[in-house]
Amino acid sequence: MEYYTLSRYAYWKYYILVFYYRLAEYPIPVRLWMLFGSICMLLLVAIVIGNAARSFTSYRFDRLVQHNRERYYERMKTVVSQARTLDPAEVSAILELPKNFKMKERQNRSFVPVLLELRREMEGSISQPNWVRLTQALKMPVYFESQILSRKIRKRVQGFKDVADLDANLKEAVASRYLFTKNRKLQMHARLHAARFGTSYPFKVLEEDPNLVFTDEMVVKYHNVLVYRQNNGLTMPNFIRWCNRVPVNEELRIFAVNEIRLFNRREDCAELLSMLESSRDEAFSCTLIRALGEMEYVPAEKEFLRRYLSASFTERQVLAEALGAIHSGNPEVVRFLADDLVQTTDYVSRMTLLRVIHDYGAIGLQTYEKIKAESNFELEPYFAHIECNLIDSRRYA
Amino acid sequence: MLEWFDVFFSIFVAIYSFFVLSSYVAMAILAFLEHRKHYTYHDDAYTIEELKKSPYTPGISIVAPAYNEEKTVITNVKSLLSLDYPDFEVVIVNDGSKDKTLELLIENFDLVQVPYAYVEKIKTKPFKGLYKTRSDNPAFKRLTVVDKVNGGTKADASNAGVNVVSNKFFVCTDVDCVLDQYALYRIIWPTMASTRRVIAVSATMRMSNGSIVEEGKMVDSRPPHDLIPLFQDLEYTRSFLIGKTALARLNALQNVSGGFGMFDREIVIKAGGYDGDSFAEDMDMVARMIRYMCDAGEDYRIVQIPETCCWTEGPPNLKVLNRQRTRWGRGLFQFFSVHRDMVANRNYRRYGGFTLTYILLFELLAPVVEFTGYITVIWFFLRGAVNYNTIWIAYLGLYVFAQLLTMVIISYDTWVGTSFKRKKDYLWFVLASLLEPILYHPLNVWFSLRGYWKHIWGTQMVWGNMTRKGVQSAKPAAPKPIAPTPVQPVSQEKKTDA
Repeated sequence: MEYYTLSRYAYWKYYILVFYYRLAEYPIPVRLWMLFGSICMLLLVAIVIGNAARSFTSYRFDRLVQHNRERYYERMKTVVSQARTLDPAEVSAILELPKNFKMKERQNRSFVPVLLELRREMEGSISQPNWVRLTQALKMPVYFESQILSRKIRKRVQGFKDVADLDANLKEAVASRYLFTKNRKLQMHARLHAARFGTSYPFKVLEEDPNLVFTDEMVVKYHNVLVYRQNNGLTMPNFIRWCNRVPVNEELRIFAVNEIRLFNRREDCAELLSMLESSRDEAFSCTLIRALGEMEYVPAEKEFLRRYLSASFTERQVLAEALGAIHSGNPEVVRFLADDLVQTTDYVSRMTLLRVIHDYGAIGLQTYEKIKAESNFELEPYFAHIECNLIDSRRYA
Repeated sequence: MLEWFDVFFSIFVAIYSFFVLSSYVAMAILAFLEHRKHYTYHDDAYTIEELKKSPYTPGISIVAPAYNEEKTVITNVKSLLSLDYPDFEVVIVNDGSKDKTLELLIENFDLVQVPYAYVEKIKTKPFKGLYKTRSDNPAFKRLTVVDKVNGGTKADASNAGVNVVSNKFFVCTDVDCVLDQYALYRIIWPTMASTRRVIAVSATMRMSNGSIVEEGKMVDSRPPHDLIPLFQDLEYTRSFLIGKTALARLNALQNVSGGFGMFDREIVIKAGGYDGDSFAEDMDMVARMIRYMCDAGEDYRIVQIPETCCWTEGPPNLKVLNRQRTRWGRGLFQFFSVHRDMVANRNYRRYGGFTLTYILLFELLAPVVEFTGYITVIWFFLRGAVNYNTIWIAYLGLYVFAQLLTMVIISYDTWVGTSFKRKKDYLWFVLASLLEPILYHPLNVWFSLRGYWKHIWGTQMVWGNMTRKGVQSAKPAAPKPIAPTPVQPVSQEKKTDA
């Protein structure tokens, strides 16, 4: 009698066939359902393994960050707190780096949180040249460059954010390839990078890109970039050119006028006034009025009064605020606002007008008392509201 | 006749289940795409730093109604006032509390009634007064307390809050919710990053039962260790990280939670504010905002953010859960009675054309189908008509699918970066997921059906009281004469189940 030993392959084949014939006994919907269940099972196992692996990687990374913090944090602090600009060799010596110091991407990445922590802690007292030397000693510029040139969009975006956060002063040219990329977020970060570190005039893209979309997020970020440039003595843009850009970008020109106001560029007021004279757009007009008012540009008062009667409720409120802010002492203004108070029915406009009149010095206060004495019960709550110093009437909405 | 029913029901269930499961798979994929986008472009710390520095950061008002909250109101208001954001105000609406809520607020924050020129932009129960602080403490200056006659619902109180807020956006929350320190930065960001007008933002909410909260601040987020809240935590996480995220990607989000959500004040007022008669007032509010925007032909977006911004205490036992879910069931039925014209109506874009149709078929109708299924299976057992060779395959497949979904939400949760500190805490989710299909889901089906029944027969229903246990404290709270913290272990305080 002969015995045959089945191969491992044959065993597998045997069990798969058993399973197959067992499965074949079921109707097609049940077979499909079993297939679906099996796929779910495989996915479940894969996700469990993936999650475990990710947790382990993240744990190892956290340990590396902790290790860097313990080993280098105080030494880094010593470097950036020196008043004298250190040589690269001195920086390496303080950090006790090996002679042929090389870093892998993961190690560089683990230095980012430590450097961020240091920058936030030492904000204001940091020696900028030594900070640059420190990042160079740790080979961070090379790392950021590789991140920004990486194939992964997340790495590029994160690279730009890290460079901005750490003020790593990476070459402007690194960002140039993304200035007109289709990915709007990446494009925005590249433009912000160019705007922050650009040495010539890095705002051309804003003036020339016909497809520019300027969101509130960009408003916040560009303002912070401009503050950075001003603090570091870098060239500032010509905001009037942003306003006169063709084709017109509504959001950009509103931002430009607001920046003129925030940077208090009084030399641009005459230009703003001429823009206001020809403006038909409510949002833009309101921004111009607010800017001229807050910069206390007295010649604008005449134009404000001219616009007033044909303006919408919203624009009237802004005009009244602006007239109050200019505070030229002109009795005509108070009389004008008091006349409008009689006509208006909008509750926010009433509050604004009364408050502006109340705060308009002695003439205003006199008119306010007169209105109060002659008024009907409708206005009574407004007087009490304005006179109560526990309420901020400016926030009434 | 019975055979005809067997065949019809089997085919119907097969088709229905196919669509339900396909929709879950589709939503999980859409949510994946949304989370990937968030992971690629969003950096929390960077965003917070940018907003902190900017004068363009918009102001936010927080509206929190309070009804008989004397035990917790002081700690919770202090917690709200200590949030990190450059420009915000806190509006507490005392909805005619019968206890010492208002007196405690006046005493602790040195409040005094001021002659505020109140304008009723949204109709509410009579306004009694507005209080501001006399104190020089700059944090207290952010506080406004509105006192009004009790309206019986959270909606009425919220409307009174909306009438006095001064910022363009307001966050609606509950006074006993625990907010993340940076929640306001997170919730405002989508309104700034979008090219379209964002009218509402929803954020992820979790259960605070089991977490450690100190002085109204989340110290350590942990999963609840009691089964009922644990099931709800899993349910909330699944709903926010898969369902709502997917619908928000389609710009068809059905609901911004009343526990924590941000709204555009102007649109809320134009849409008429919250409906005081609705049992699903948050869903109703979103529907009316969308109706207003679509009727006016304006473009809009409603966004869901994945980060956990708020923790709320969930019903700790079956009795309270029953009351809450029955109300939700009734609210859903009532919602479709009121807004039936929006269902499958393409004038209301994807919200009407897709979301409402989906919810009608697979949320409103699901308990009915499931209940019929349970009855049918029992009937088959009694008749001996069950095919034992097949039924286990059907149930096993479903069970594995449910476990897969849980693993997917755990992955998403760790991915978006607001996960539990200890990874082992997720084992509680796994435990809940193993038990949920057997213990929790059938109960929910029953509670929903009770809600439908009550709506159909017009049974009188009031906003019940909810027994809250309070959350854990990191260290024992020092006894205070007038301001006990919410961290008392097991206080059997009765509160509005809002």
